[in-house]
Amino acid sequence: MVASQAESQKSFFSSPSTETPIIKLEGITKRFPGVIALDNINLEIHRGTVHALLGENGAGKSTLVKILYGIYTPDRGRIYVDGRPVRIASPMDAIRLGIVMVSQSPVIIDRLTVEENIVLGLEKFNMFAPIRRIREKIIEVSETVGVKIDPSTEVWKLSYTQKQLVEIVRGLLLGARVLLLDEAITYLPLEEKKKFYKFIRKFADEGGTVILITHKIPEATDVADLITVLRRGKVVGTVPVEGTSIEEIRKMMFGEKSGEITYERLPPGNPGEVILEINDLWVRGDFGDYAVKGVSLKVRRGEVVGIAGVAGNGQKELIQAVMRLRPVEKGKIVYDNVDITNKTTYYLRLNGVGYIPDLPAKYGVSIENNILENIAIIPTFSREIISWKRIKSLAYKLIREFEIKTPSPETPVKFLSGGNIMKVLVSRELTAATKLLVAYNPTRALDEATAIRVRKIIKSKVINENVAALIASEDLDEIFQISDTIVVMNSGKIVGVFPADKAKREEVEHLMVM
Amino acid sequence: MEFPISMIIVRRVKPLPYWIVPVLALVVGLLISMIILYAMSGGVITPYDVLVSIYYGFTNVGLLAKTFALLIIVGIGLLVSFKGAIWNIGGEGQFYMGVMLAAWVALFSGFAFNGFIAKTTMILMAVLAGGFWALLAALPRAYLNIDEVPVTLMMNYIAYYIVDYITKSEWREKQYGFRKTPRIPETTMFQVIDGTTLTLELLILMIVIFVAVWLLFKYTSLGLRIKVLSSNPNLLRSSGISVQLTVVTALLLSGMIIGIAGAAYLGSVSHNINYPVEEYTPGYGYTGILVAWLSMLELIAVPIAAYIIGALHTAGISIQIMGAGGAAVVNIFIGSILLTYAVLITISEYKIKIIIKKR
Repeated sequence: MVASQAESQKSFFSSPSTETPIIKLEGITKRFPGVIALDNINLEIHRGTVHALLGENGAGKSTLVKILYGIYTPDRGRIYVDGRPVRIASPMDAIRLGIVMVSQSPVIIDRLTVEENIVLGLEKFNMFAPIRRIREKIIEVSETVGVKIDPSTEVWKLSYTQKQLVEIVRGLLLGARVLLLDEAITYLPLEEKKKFYKFIRKFADEGGTVILITHKIPEATDVADLITVLRRGKVVGTVPVEGTSIEEIRKMMFGEKSGEITYERLPPGNPGEVILEINDLWVRGDFGDYAVKGVSLKVRRGEVVGIAGVAGNGQKELIQAVMRLRPVEKGKIVYDNVDITNKTTYYLRLNGVGYIPDLPAKYGVSIENNILENIAIIPTFSREIISWKRIKSLAYKLIREFEIKTPSPETPVKFLSGGNIMKVLVSRELTAATKLLVAYNPTRALDEATAIRVRKIIKSKVINENVAALIASEDLDEIFQISDTIVVMNSGKIVGVFPADKAKREEVEHLMVM
Repeated sequence: MEFPISMIIVRRVKPLPYWIVPVLALVVGLLISMIILYAMSGGVITPYDVLVSIYYGFTNVGLLAKTFALLIIVGIGLLVSFKGAIWNIGGEGQFYMGVMLAAWVALFSGFAFNGFIAKTTMILMAVLAGGFWALLAALPRAYLNIDEVPVTLMMNYIAYYIVDYITKSEWREKQYGFRKTPRIPETTMFQVIDGTTLTLELLILMIVIFVAVWLLFKYTSLGLRIKVLSSNPNLLRSSGISVQLTVVTALLLSGMIIGIAGAAYLGSVSHNINYPVEEYTPGYGYTGILVAWLSMLELIAVPIAAYIIGALHTAGISIQIMGAGGAAVVNIFIGSILLTYAVLITISEYKIKIIIKKR
């Protein structure tokens, strides 16, 4: 039996090492109501390596990391650090063992300065420690990370990348020997990613250990030494990055589904009448200056208009203005022959518009509420009185069609994996979009296979139900795969419009960073 | 130099089971109040006396009934806003605005000739008055983001002083010159159910409000919106629902329900307003907060919480009669439990570790 299992999974073991692994997991098992998140996980992590944990949505990556960081405790199994069995009951325990986590959403306080944030939670520095000493230490450590941040800057002025760096600096100050990066770099722009890779490499070369959790294969192959693939709570195998192809890894991640992964252009839509027309639109950003500067564009029924651009070039503000979540300074938006410049989001909701916002867990769902409530809250599905019967049958339909892994529709969304939360949101909004879908990074929390399926579903909806879609994405692969018209945004302006079949990737990339 | 003791506060991954906090708060709070009462009375009130009076409070159903019913109404009213994370501390003011307007209807409107019309109008006016008083705090909260806690709290005193002013001047009873309003006419008094302190109208109001609020949270979008208001207002916004309007509605409904309790109190219990009202108030607006909190914001648990608090209220009165001190004695139980609850709720969500470093 053992042999057949080994055969079916192949054996992907790297050359066994003789030194004691810094972290060793033995038979780790964790159940949540209705699901086994981790099933008998065995894993060794060695000093001085960058070890990637790859897996599709809900494979158990995050659960595993949370166990290492003491946020969850395993139902069964043992954890060894430096060969000694340990019990990690809280993040404090983990930190004492030198294990520090940096998550995808920086856990720092905007109103405080960098140094104040770093001092918080540092046991070494109590409230009587001289701030000067702390400052010196911060500067020293941040120089090793290779970035300069003034410790007295308030955090809200920092970019997302810088905030992540602050977290890492804090981790290093805590004496981290093992850095857990839970999708911490997945959402960074490419340039910033490269800076991070350098730091990660250096940290490992100096004897540190990095555990990198991601659902993006290129991220793992770019920086890791070893890749362990998880699937449905089990370890599929561990392979060295060198000498392993992306196809092989995909096969480990998705099994037979890996054949569906393709970045070919999806079938073209058939553009009909204009449903959304934006005319010389000016919109202010969060800090009062113009983020959208005179944008004009048209979206027709039966087509996908994709907005390409590096994050922070006005796409977010444009999308929010269209959804009437941000005031329009100048210009006009016409939807379905009605000037909506002075209408509300509620109006759009009642008139066939679906919306997939950026940062889904923050703006798209309420994780404390269950799936049914997360559907019923949208005015498209219920006016004054909620028909739970109707909402329930819709929920079952979405759970089936999108393969949402959940014990029941009454499960609070916080118990679902990140990818499944995204599926709840996407499936709901696709149902709401009977005329127009407005989206920002609709698939970024999803693994490759699911992301491509979602794109196919969006596209087939556009073609078969004659719906229009306006999709902004920082992922160029996505833009090229799904769009009929590609619009490039840079510094708040449209700098290029291409029919998708004639667009050239180099040209679009050039316009994005110009 | 390193400080030898440090404290670490970590958020618990799994909060303690929800019933632990209210139960512990009751037990610990009662122990604390026994100590206070023993010390305060110079040893006159022993823990045994306290236990006896608590037993008396819990078993004396007839005496308990009116407090129980009124606390349920106030508790439910507060629950409506608490569910939306809108902390209405102004129940007392909304209650007395209800009392005042109901008193006006009963005494001066001229409707008193017909009991049914008068009582209906009393309740309706109390709804408007309580709602209006809540609205004064709701609008700045929704549109100017001014914290509702201090505003609703201070509005209580404004309400007291308005009622005080009118009670000792315009509405003062003329016959004997006492500083209180005349009693409301017989026709406007609620109908006592024999053998209890409860009135028929109060009972009906309690049941109607309970069912209505149950329906609100079970079947209406508004109820769901109030819940989502506390869990993620950003989702409301991107759903196209006005966060401001939801805030206003939650607080308005809360005030309206509490206003009804005011009318019921006048019609069933007090029958007039005494000056100064801040001394004669049964304090249901504040006690209701404890009821709502002890229920852990579960509508079904409100009657249980109201029963416990009602019983302790009665127990407090009997201890006061034993000679422990002034009117404030009644609030010792309530205060100790509320305080213990506030401390314990922190422990249910956060783990506090004191670390002593060895030299």
